[in-house]
Amino acid sequence: MKLDSAEARKALADIDDVARRVRQSRIYDLASRVMIMWGVLVFAGNLANWLSPRDGGAIWIAVNTLGVGGTVTLSILDMRRTGMHSFDLRVAAAFVLYFAFGLFCSVVLGHFGPRQMGTFWPVYAMLFYVLAGLWFGRAFVAIGLGITVLTLIGYFFVTGYAFMLWMAVTNGGGLIVGGLCMRRD
Amino acid sequence: MAELDDVIHQPLRLRIMAALNALPSGSGLEFARLKKLTGATDGNLGAHIETLSRAGYVGVDKAFVGKKPQTTVTATAEGRGAFARHVATLQEIIAASAAGGK
Repeated sequence: MKLDSAEARKALADIDDVARRVRQSRIYDLASRVMIMWGVLVFAGNLANWLSPRDGGAIWIAVNTLGVGGTVTLSILDMRRTGMHSFDLRVAAAFVLYFAFGLFCSVVLGHFGPRQMGTFWPVYAMLFYVLAGLWFGRAFVAIGLGITVLTLIGYFFVTGYAFMLWMAVTNGGGLIVGGLCMRRD
Repeated sequence: MAELDDVIHQPLRLRIMAALNALPSGSGLEFARLKKLTGATDGNLGAHIETLSRAGYVGVDKAFVGKKPQTTVTATAEGRGAFARHVATLQEIIAASAAGGK
């Protein structure tokens, strides 16, 4: 069988394209599970905060602790199931640095109130999604931008405690819907 | 120069092998996922998996997950070797062409 160099190049490009799709599919699979889990937690956190505004601090510490623990658990389970590292230590380190910077801005520099906190963290988290999407796939960018816009609409136009209900639906619900859409992709 | 592998050379079979080869050894892909990744149709994919299986390049595992039948396709060690040789041959063709053009 004879092949010229153009055909050989096309075959190699095809191989690269499929390998890239497989990698992206692995990342989407894990990320969608993590996203749905965070969506449920954020939905529950906002609802609990709406019901008991005074306990906001404790509620969000619990949500974040459960979220980080759940993310690590899902990553380990995924690695055992597939034998592949979808995320490595550098990604984890970047996440920790990103979180520390957010804490520094919102608590040390900013002295944000509950409403500002409730807006800053989702928008800041979605910025991470958008940046990750530049490498890992357009779905992250679309979900990140969509939730950011909805969060800002809530911040500027939804008054009082209803803001938390808005955030439960748009932020928690947005992550759940985004994760489910990603699984269909 | 080594010969191209007749079984792997067909475009869809090349894509199937590329997808399976991108996974760690021993890991497989479900039929539906493989179909999406390679852009194949049901019948087409089934026929080409059969050809690869007859050549000993892939293993096919059929099981029930709950009540749903699930087919998982995995590249065998022989298949991985054949795919690696095929890729090396493609690279040689490009290298030879570049050297001849100088």
